[in-house]
Amino acid sequence: MNFTFNNKSITGLLVILPSRKVRFDEELDNYNFPHAKSMKLKLAMGYNTRRIVDDSVCTSDLCVFGLKYLFERGYIDKEEIDALVLVTQSPDYFMPPTSNVIQGILGLKKDMICMDINQGCAGYIIGLMQSFMLLEQTSIKKVALLNADIMSRKVSKRDRNSNPLIGDAASITIVEKNLVDNDIYGNIKMDGRNYSILIIPAGGYKMPSNIETAEMKEDVSGNFRSLDNLVMKGDEVFNFVQREVPPMIEELLETGKASKEEVDYYMFHQPNKFMLNKLADKLEIPHEKMPSNIVENFGNASGVSIPTVICFNLAERLLNETFKLCLAGFGVGLTWASLLLEMGKMKFNKIIDY
Amino acid sequence: MEELKHKLAQILEVDEVSDDQVLESFECWDSLTILSIIAFASKDYHKEINTEQIRQAATIKGLIGLIAK
Repeated sequence: MNFTFNNKSITGLLVILPSRKVRFDEELDNYNFPHAKSMKLKLAMGYNTRRIVDDSVCTSDLCVFGLKYLFERGYIDKEEIDALVLVTQSPDYFMPPTSNVIQGILGLKKDMICMDINQGCAGYIIGLMQSFMLLEQTSIKKVALLNADIMSRKVSKRDRNSNPLIGDAASITIVEKNLVDNDIYGNIKMDGRNYSILIIPAGGYKMPSNIETAEMKEDVSGNFRSLDNLVMKGDEVFNFVQREVPPMIEELLETGKASKEEVDYYMFHQPNKFMLNKLADKLEIPHEKMPSNIVENFGNASGVSIPTVICFNLAERLLNETFKLCLAGFGVGLTWASLLLEMGKMKFNKIIDY
Repeated sequence: MEELKHKLAQILEVDEVSDDQVLESFECWDSLTILSIIAFASKDYHKEINTEQIRQAATIKGLIGLIAK
């Protein structure tokens, strides 16, 4: 379905990355595969260094760290935040919402709305759409959109299918009303019939964690994981992305009356280099216009890979210049969503270490 | 058909392939090779196939049937 938003803009972007680095080459012995085969995979997928949290670090820790950074440096005033939207699949608790926890820790005002959204790879796009909708209210002038995931804590270290690509990260996006007459176009689709393609089977109310769900088992390909771990059907994810994402982008560009050439960059979710390059080929977009360098540098932190790819590749250029960007996320849900918007003249756009 | 065989040979990192060759017997046979075949079938033949189907196809002949059918 198509969405249109007017007079809204992104005025600041901060990405928070854990300082702990893990290199693919250090983990070869975790996997039940010959080193040579793993090295071939590394090259094709763009695996190298990923950033992951220590086991005690939570989503709220990364978000609070980032917000404090912005308050202390005067990038935003905490009284200005009318809405705190947190997109995550790794909440601190089942209840209460982690956004309320963050509000409490930081002592934000009570006259505001906090909201958690459970979404993954497309979560950043959904978070932006939700932020734009909140800004339709006269009382909401500024939204702090938080997107954070720490999936490294849910992935089996012996699962070569998922472990080498997973990274942790958080991002803070400031979304505001603006007076310039601008249009933002969006497109979103969902397919809950295929919910099990990307899943953590145990740990919720459907299958509570116990000794049996923690038992490590080998799959047909030779990966070890338990029901408490994240599991991904890589081939089905690949097919889903190749099938659904190109027509969504075509539809978005048509609605937004933009040609493929007019878009400066396609800032997409970063599953791995292989999938992004195949996607660019299918869309007939030059690889330079669709950066795919996040997995190799930081790992894939689900939805947060979108603000990370923007921050890392455009950095301070976004402070002075303006770009026409096409953003897209696709994965868990299944959900696939995209936005066509202008970004630029931002107050801040940077990456910091936690 | 020859073009398809030529492309499969490239993916399988050999000079040429024959119908009765068993997929799992190729030295480079692994999950990445399977994904490369899936990607190739999707792009060049607009055909959606999955890992399970490729495993069941078993041989070059079976794989050709899967992609070009």
